[in-house]
Amino acid sequence: MARDNNSTAEYTRPVRRILVGLLIAVMSATFLIWTIDSPRVERFRAAVIDRVVPSFAWLFAPVDFAIDMVSDFRSYTNIYEQNQELRRELRQMKAWKEAALQLEQENAKLRDLNKVRLDPKLTHVTGVVLADSGSPFRQSVLLNVGARDGIVDGWATTDGLGLVGRISGVGASTSRVILLTDSNSRIPVTVLPSGQQAILLGDNSLAPKLEFIESPDTVRPGDRVVSSGDGGVFPAGLLVGQVALGADRQLRARVVADLGRLEFLRVLRSHSSEVITEPGGLIAPRLLEPEQLSASEVAQ
Amino acid sequence: MIGPSATRQVGHALLFFGLAAGLFFLKLLAVDTGPRAIPGPDFLMCLIFAWVQRQPLTLHPVMIFAVLFLSDFLLMQPPGLWSLLVFLGAEFLRTRHSPSSEMPFPAEWGFVSIIVVIISLSNILILSMFVPELLHADMVMVQALMTVTMYPVVVIFCHYVLFVRRDIQMDGITRGAAR
Repeated sequence: MARDNNSTAEYTRPVRRILVGLLIAVMSATFLIWTIDSPRVERFRAAVIDRVVPSFAWLFAPVDFAIDMVSDFRSYTNIYEQNQELRRELRQMKAWKEAALQLEQENAKLRDLNKVRLDPKLTHVTGVVLADSGSPFRQSVLLNVGARDGIVDGWATTDGLGLVGRISGVGASTSRVILLTDSNSRIPVTVLPSGQQAILLGDNSLAPKLEFIESPDTVRPGDRVVSSGDGGVFPAGLLVGQVALGADRQLRARVVADLGRLEFLRVLRSHSSEVITEPGGLIAPRLLEPEQLSASEVAQ
Repeated sequence: MIGPSATRQVGHALLFFGLAAGLFFLKLLAVDTGPRAIPGPDFLMCLIFAWVQRQPLTLHPVMIFAVLFLSDFLLMQPPGLWSLLVFLGAEFLRTRHSPSSEMPFPAEWGFVSIIVVIISLSNILILSMFVPELLHADMVMVQALMTVTMYPVVVIFCHYVLFVRRDIQMDGITRGAAR
């Protein structure tokens, strides 16, 4: 590269040539090391981001606020229609609220009758979204909670409505959430009410693909998709979205979480689920000890 | 050819790092976290290529390396790959910079376009060999196209806003660039 004889004497200085070669070697070596030992380099990356991005944080907040204000201001223009629409929705919501209250009471009664124990370990840490992934090829966000808040790799993240993604990469004070839409995201899900198991594959579009469904005929657009908890990484039963049929006849899940505007995310503290290793034992009357056995034989 | 003064050297370095930090900031800003169908242009690459052909003396290889390498880590790219390709492109353009040969802007643009396409193709090739699951060949090529289209805008920005211009001996080229 720098070996061109036409360039000025300034550049053909051997020191600079060595320097350029050295920098090229550093970059190639980093890439090769990353392909061989990805987790170590990714940990290093998490540490780098942990140092760099929070130093921008004081600027993120006001700029986000300003952009929100501009978009809010734009909505003033159609404020009248919006107001009417909101009133209409509010009336509907009141009816729903009444129904929900009644259902809640009924639910509580039934739970009490059933002696259901909700998992007390399923608590959450709430974090603020600091930054985007910054690359059009990756779908992830950076949260302002990290290892010092007890965040662990693999925990599920929701935005209050539905599943958003999982933690992948934890720094001391930041952690990265790989969104469902990232092309690296694979999540085991169940389609309700048919109960079909599927894998949710992110592909950089707003509606991730549903693959590996045993009998796709039983799955209809509009069915609910929830996480299945297979593999023990994710808690089961988190709402993901609804089944939709893509233009290419591919079953997809329309994500219920508002992935376009993530602000606060809940990281669910899921503890490693207990694994049942042995099959159920034979339920039988307690076996007699050998000497007792022989004694009883003698008695007979 | 007279080298740039120390103040200009420092000023340009600060300007370059400031612009790079601004670009990182805009990219990381969590305004729209949803997936985008069309990736935006790589302004950092445009800036480096335009700069290295105008003021090669104020843009030291270490500066290019630092910014590119950090961008790989911050923007969740495979570390080292994209920075290596852009770095090679920039150093190649630097060797092409010689005061004797005048290059009108359309020629420069075509030249940069070829380099951007080569970089993108090598990126696709290397990714498909090492990490095929991270490969989005169509999006990489769309990004290359966007970068090439935005290159004149960055050049005009460099010329009129940043005052990063070719030195006076090469006034003819500057006029071509500013068109």
